[in-house]
Order: sequence, then structure tokens, then C-alpha cells
Amino acid sequence: MKLFTSFLLLATSASCLHAQSPGPAAPRKKRVLTNAAAAAQPTVQNSSLVKVNATSQSYNLHLPWQKESPSGRRGLGVVLAGNRVLVTAQMAADATYLELELPESGQKTPAKVVAVDYEANLALLESPPSDKQKAFFAGLKPMSIDASARIGDAVTILQTGRVGELIESPLNISKVMSRRYIVEGSGFLVYEATGIIRSEANSFTLPVVKGNKLAGLLLSYDSKNQVTTILPAPIIEHFLKDVADGSYEGFPGLGMELQATQDEQFREFLGLKPNEPGVLISAVVKGASAEQAGMKKGDILVSINGFTIDSRGDYKDPQYGALSAGHLVRGRAYVGDKVEIKVIREGKEVTLNGTLARKKPEAHLVLPYQFDRGPRYVLMGGLLFQELSQPYLDAFGEEQRSGAILRLARIATNPEKYEEAGRKKLVFLSLVLPTPGAQGYDKLGGQVVNKVNGKVINDLNDLAEAFKSAKETWHVIELDDFPHILHLDTFNAERDNMRLLGGAYRIGSLKRLE
Amino acid sequence: MNIRPLLTLFALALLPPVMAQPAPETPTASQAIDLGSGAWDGVVNIDVSVLVPDYREPWNAGQPSGGSGTGFLIGKNRFLTNAHVVSNATRILIRTSNDPEPHPAKIVHIAHDCDLALIEAEDPAHFEKLKPLDFGGIPQLNTEVIAVGYPIGGDRISVTRGVVSRIDFRPYSHTSVDSHLAIQVDAAINPGNSGGPVLQGGKVVGVAFQGFSGRVAQNVGYMIPVPVIKRFLKDIEDGRYDHYVDLAASDFPIENPAQAKALGTHGGGVGVMVADVEPAGSVGEILKIGDVILSIDDNPVLNNGLVRFEGELMDMNEIVERKFAGDKIKLEFLRGGKKQEATVTLKRFDPYVRLGATYNQRPRYVVFAGLVFQPMDRNLMDAHQIRDRTVSYVFDNFLTDKLYVERPEPVVLTNVLPDEVNTWLTPYAHSIVDEINGVKIKSLKDVQSALAKKDQAFIEIRLLEKSRPLVLKRELAEAAHPRIMQTYNIQGDSFVGEE
Repeated sequence: MKLFTSFLLLATSASCLHAQSPGPAAPRKKRVLTNAAAAAQPTVQNSSLVKVNATSQSYNLHLPWQKESPSGRRGLGVVLAGNRVLVTAQMAADATYLELELPESGQKTPAKVVAVDYEANLALLESPPSDKQKAFFAGLKPMSIDASARIGDAVTILQTGRVGELIESPLNISKVMSRRYIVEGSGFLVYEATGIIRSEANSFTLPVVKGNKLAGLLLSYDSKNQVTTILPAPIIEHFLKDVADGSYEGFPGLGMELQATQDEQFREFLGLKPNEPGVLISAVVKGASAEQAGMKKGDILVSINGFTIDSRGDYKDPQYGALSAGHLVRGRAYVGDKVEIKVIREGKEVTLNGTLARKKPEAHLVLPYQFDRGPRYVLMGGLLFQELSQPYLDAFGEEQRSGAILRLARIATNPEKYEEAGRKKLVFLSLVLPTPGAQGYDKLGGQVVNKVNGKVINDLNDLAEAFKSAKETWHVIELDDFPHILHLDTFNAERDNMRLLGGAYRIGSLKRLE
Repeated sequence: MNIRPLLTLFALALLPPVMAQPAPETPTASQAIDLGSGAWDGVVNIDVSVLVPDYREPWNAGQPSGGSGTGFLIGKNRFLTNAHVVSNATRILIRTSNDPEPHPAKIVHIAHDCDLALIEAEDPAHFEKLKPLDFGGIPQLNTEVIAVGYPIGGDRISVTRGVVSRIDFRPYSHTSVDSHLAIQVDAAINPGNSGGPVLQGGKVVGVAFQGFSGRVAQNVGYMIPVPVIKRFLKDIEDGRYDHYVDLAASDFPIENPAQAKALGTHGGGVGVMVADVEPAGSVGEILKIGDVILSIDDNPVLNNGLVRFEGELMDMNEIVERKFAGDKIKLEFLRGGKKQEATVTLKRFDPYVRLGATYNQRPRYVVFAGLVFQPMDRNLMDAHQIRDRTVSYVFDNFLTDKLYVERPEPVVLTNVLPDEVNTWLTPYAHSIVDEINGVKIKSLKDVQSALAKKDQAFIEIRLLEKSRPLVLKRELAEAAHPRIMQTYNIQGDSFVGEE
């Protein structure tokens, strides 16, 4: 019954992923055909825009040897220097085929991803050199980037109609803030703008221009409140600069948790005077930049690189005004840059110096996101083992979290205990296929694996290795949860493995460790 | 989730209680009944006024409501009924079928874990001439039974007929955590039938107590069988109800041949694996995970945890179920392939009571400067509809992760009644209190005593898995306290239990 439920959930949420990814959800649901009136509007072709058609296909998180059905995504990319095309990372996520299309003539050329950053939601595409490619780009010219936009500025969202005519929707930037884009993690700079966007067919990426220059890419549009969020040019410039030097490092983060100190009693308790700046550091991520610089839980953060941090955790940005302190590091600095942090510790100001780094997704106990690659797994005699990932948990939805999933989700939010124990990943028994050798275990699922054949399991590689060294004629699998101990006959498990390969479950490989 | 636990706690509450049912006393089931004969006069209607405690505003009286059920005379001024019929009662009235006169009654003993209660009329005179009903045994499958009571659909006594469909270990929905032997019948059992007798050959073979709420099943009613009733009656002989005892261990069927071999059972279908042991339970010091239980009081335990008992295959817990606190049972088990024997002194396992619904209790709480603290239990979880992940985790895994060892009575900050003094703290309601001024909070009383210590200028409340402590300046908090009590109409600032 549990198995059945999980399948249902997984299927539902997978379709959600396509239908309502949190980020650039432009008007893609209603495909409005360009009508006569719209076609008749005087519009100018913009020679820096190309349509991007993507086919994406994600892996099945529950049956990781399988892929889901492919689906199509469309967007409007921006031609940059070197005939590269900028789109949001969502366009490129899990792509099996990408192509560029000229809006007016419909001419097409295949494309591939040069660089992608799912945290910053940006991807750079190019078309492999060929005569076709040369002809395709002949009439196009690169658009330059303008990172000068401020609150109050007028910007325009560009779309193209059926025959390539340009459709412009004017907006005004009303707010600048910091929030997450499409995956879990710290916030990035966002422009919020107001105004009506006409509903056209293009969707996953739409350029936002200020004058003739690129000011950002559309992140989301709330048609009810006519509020748009825009991935802004400063983040695009950061991404491009990072790509240009040949090795992509990504956006740095300090790795700490801040608590606002507006509460007067709390301030007095912390020893802060009424108008003093500073926020409480309530957590420091192990191995991240802040910890390396010597920051400790309980410090009062008062400045970063000379910018004072107020009681809300904001600094005064010269361009945008009050903005989350996170942007000082994430948006304005690069991996490898020096950082100077001032904290108050035991009543005294302490200056901490460090080097900025980025905690890679692979460095997390629970993978925060995964695209383009299949989930790692090991299948042994019908027992399917996986490493816990946020997408796996998300597939169950917030409401369905109880029992094993609630326990796993809690480990994802509180990984410290497992990290300190030396675990690199959280290996768990995710499913049991009904093989003869796994008889009696088929209702299990969701148990964290502690040891196999006496060996501590810190990731799936350990598990695959441990299965090679059974001490008896059976494998001993120790779980953190009920029923705690499983035994699997070594001979029967191998026999079942052979039967599973190419059998009814269409399993092509017993493991994926890359 | 899967696998049947020895403990009854994981039982799904599929079966909402149905109330009240009388039982006719009839020699053969098909015989016509003459109400004038007085044979069923012992089957009475119980009319109850109740006050449902308010776990959201624990200082309030609660919600008055009422209900009706059935009971029957089993001895001199002793009426048996369901615990859920008389739970939270403020007034109980008994009426017989041929006499509309209400007779006030009171509870003598109530056992929520097996949903049985014994009540007596305040003035026994009226019932002195009535004949008590006698008990039979466990009826056989496919034999006819009748349920007698006062269900919805009319005022007078009702009889429905059916056969015994199944005899099984089942969840008892009254507490939502207990499971005992129950007998399924296809006689209609409706609200109002609860507490009424189910008869066969004129003898009571069960007490009707719950139906099946699912949309799928039809004609499913359950009765509490005689062994459970007898156990209750024996338990209270000493004037006190002591609750069921439990092994407090979970088992896992040994179906896998490698598992059987590795654990040393050598097949044969005997022996069930111990998959979890509560350290505070009866076998906490005796059994370990990975042991194989071979027999219990010389009854061989099959690989799926069943025993053949009184001619039927039953959960091995049924053997423990018949025992009382302090009784001993003999366990034979395998450890590392070697046979061992142990005598277990059975005791009640308290931590899991918290996971079940409780009744007839005044909610406990402490209010300080608008912060409302309450002990975590099922009533609280249901009333506050808590969605916080940490609180849900602690409640769901209170036993599985042995959280009760460190924190026997987790305390939840359930509400912050807004005031100037606590205005920054309102988002932190629905959190578990970890420490107050360095004192670890293991029970509600710890909150009261930690708050009463006046040695520090600040009250620092640390919450479990929340990023910042809640800080109140003592002098401000103490000044605000009476004001908040008055504003929110709170009569007393704490109730931590009867001494």
C-alpha cells in the first residue's frame, strides 16, 4: 500500500515539476495565438533574440534506472558575444535535445550547453560550428548587458509572435530584494517589477531589456497581482565573468544563519545598545567560508567588507538601498575573493579574515538538487538502495510527510549528527522488488542503512564495496530503523540480480555510481 | 507502517466508536421476545452529558455536549458499558426499557485502553429486582448472535441479528493506540449500540463497541469479547484498574530463508525476530534486537508472531494480554543461535499512553507572560493541529527513536497570546521547549519551577531545533503577566496536575 502511494505521489509531483517550476513561470499555460490586431501592431525585429526549443527528460527518482517521458520547453534566448545564447538554467535542465530557431524565418540549428548554474538559474548555449551555424548567426548581433537598473526604472519584457514580430510589455522596477531562484539554498538578487505582460507562447526564458540592453531574464509572473520577478543583470554579469575565465566556480556563500535583533529584550540580552547594528549568528555551516574565517555561533555580525549590517540583517547598497547581507558575498564577490567580517564576541569587536568559497551541492549530506544526471543507486537481490536527495523528498510533498519520509526529511534539515559521524551521503533502503531472495522484506522502504557486512556505510560506493565481502553465505544489512537487521542470501541475491537485468522491471544496470 | 508490532501503538484508528447497544436475552436467537417477560430489563439506556476538555484554551471549561449509549446489568447495581459512552461525563442517567424514569448513575471503574467501564446507580433500589446477564465464551465463526441496545433510529430497545464473521486482534479506536482481541459480526451496530450486550444462547458473548468507518467495508461491527471483559473485571477486583501490561517490543516475521538461517531458527516455521525493544518496557533488560522468540509460556510462536491459543491462531500478545502487572511469563528465545530462557515480570509501559487519546482529565498547562506551555500528548496534537516538523517528529518517533528516555514529557509552546512584551515571539508557537535558563525541560513541572527561579534578569527559553532563544526580561514579563491574564480571561495561570 505504501508502495502504491509512493508511486502515485511521485507521478503527481513529477508533472508538477514541469507544470509549475517555482522560477520563470511566464505565461506559458495559455498559448495565445497572435491575433490580427497584434500582428498589425508596428513592431521592430530585435536581431539579438533567438527562440530556444528544448526537450527535457528527467530520471525517475523512485525507479532510478528509468527516465520519465520527455517534454518540450520553449523560450527566447539572448545572443551574446561569441554567438553564445543566454537562457535560464531551467531551459537546459535535463535536456536531451536543444535547438535554436530564428523567430522570423524559422531556420534552426542544434545547440549544446556551454555552462550552467542551477543555483543562479542561468545557462549559456552554443551551436557547434558548421555552415548551418554560420548562416544562422549571420544576421544576429550580440546584445550588451546593462547592470545599472534601479528601483523606479522602466524595463521591457520581450516576446516574439507567430511570425517573429516583437511584442513588448513595459514594466517598472518597484523593489530589489534577495530570494532563492529555483533550487534550495541562499538567496540571489531579484528585481520585482509591476505591469501587465501579454500572454504569448514563449515561456521558460524571456529577456528583459532596458533601452537596447539586457537588464535581466524573467523569473516569474503573477498575472493576478501583475507582479513580475526578474533575474537581474548583475547576476548575469557575474555568471558570464566566471564562465569567461575557463573554469566555472559558481557563486560564493558565507554559510551562516542570521537572526534579526529588532526585539528590544533580545537586544538587551545580547548586550546590544538600542541603535547598534548587528545580527546574531545562530548557525555556522561546517566547512563553509564563515567557519573557515573563524566565525562562531553566538557572534554578533556587524559588518562585511566595510558594509554595516543592521538589525534586520540588511546593509545599505549604494545602488538599491537596504538589501540582504547575503548579496554582499553572493552577488558582489567571487569565489577566492578575500572577505573581512567584523563580529562582536564576548563584548569585543573581532575582525575575521577569510577567503570566499562555495559549498558544492555534492558536499551536502543530502543533495539539494540534481539535474542532467541520474540518481545514484545500488540494487542487490531486489533491495534498492539510494542516497537521500531533496528532490526525492520533494516528490512526496509536504503534506505526505509522515513515518519514514518524515524521519528522512528531518535528517535533511538537521544533517549535523550524521555529518559529524563521517557520513558523506545518507544511504537508505528505498524500495524492495519482489524477488525470491528478498522474500519477507517487500513492505520495507525508507530505512537508513548503517552497516553492511560489518562495514560502516558512508555512501553508496561503500555499500557496493561492502556487498563484496560477506562473511557468511549471507549479507548482513543493519538499518537505523525498524526492523534493524536484514539478511540476504549471497547466492540467491546474485541469482536474483541476473534475473532482474532485462527482466520485467526493465533494469539495464544494477547500479549507478557515477 | 508495515509489519505488525507487538506494541499496540501503531494501530490505525480506522474505527470510530459507535455508541450504545442493548442486548436481548434469548434462549434461541430466532425466538420472539416478549419485552414484558423482563428478560431484557437489565439492558439499559445510558444518557450522558459530557464536557469535552479544551486543549486549545486549557484554562476554559471545555465544550458541553451529550450522547447516549447502552449498558447492561452484570451484578448487583453494576452496569457494564463502554468507556467511550461515559468518558468526560458530567452527568449519567440510566433508563430501563419499560420505565421512562431517569436514574442518576456514576462511574465505578473506567478502563480506556480496553474501552470498558463499570457504572452504578446512585440509588440501587430501582434495579434490585432486575436479573443480571450472564457471560458465555468466545462464540464460533458463523454462529448467530444478536445485538441489543438503544441505537439511533428510535427510542425503544432494538435488536439486530448477525453471525460471527471474524475473531482477530484489532485496534480499539477509543484511545487510538490500543489493540486487543475483538470479534467482528455482521449484525448492524450503530451509534447508540455501544456498550450493549451481544448475545448467543441468552448469554453475553461480547460488548458492542465500534463499527468500521471506511467506505469500502460493509456490515462490519465489532464487539469486545469475553476474555477482554473478564480481564477488566478481574483487574478491578482489588478496587483499582491497573491498565494492560505489555512486552513493549516489536517483532518482524522471519519469512526470508537467509534471515532464518542467519538467526539460527533452522526453519520449521517457529520463531519471530525481535525488531525493537523499549528499554523501559518489561523485556527491556531481557531481549535484544535480533533475538528470536521461540515460545511464550510454552506456546510455540510461529514465524509471523502468531500462537495457537484456545484453538485459534492469535497474536502472541494475546498471552500477555490476559496477564496483570506483576505476573510472570516464560520466554524461550534464540540469541546468536543459542537457546535461552527467561522469566519476564510484566509491567505497564507508560510512555505510549501519551500517544493515545486521554479522557476525564483536566488539561495541564502553564501560562507565563502570554506564553502557553502544555505537555505533548495526542489530545494536544489533535486540538492544535500542529504541523511543525520537529513537534511532529517527536510525537511520531517518541517510541521508535526512544525519545522518552531523554524527555519523558516533552513540553510544547502551543501559543503566544500577543502583548507588547512578547510581540517578537509570536512566530515561535508550536515549538518544543528544550531548556529554560539552562534547565532541561523534561516535564511541565520543570517549566513551572524553572520560571519560578528569580535569580536571573532574563528568562531565556531555548526551543528544540529552532534557531534563536526566546528572551524575556523578567521584570517586564512579570509586570505584563497579570495584564495578559486579565485581557485573555485566564482564571488560573497553571494547572500541572492533582497532587
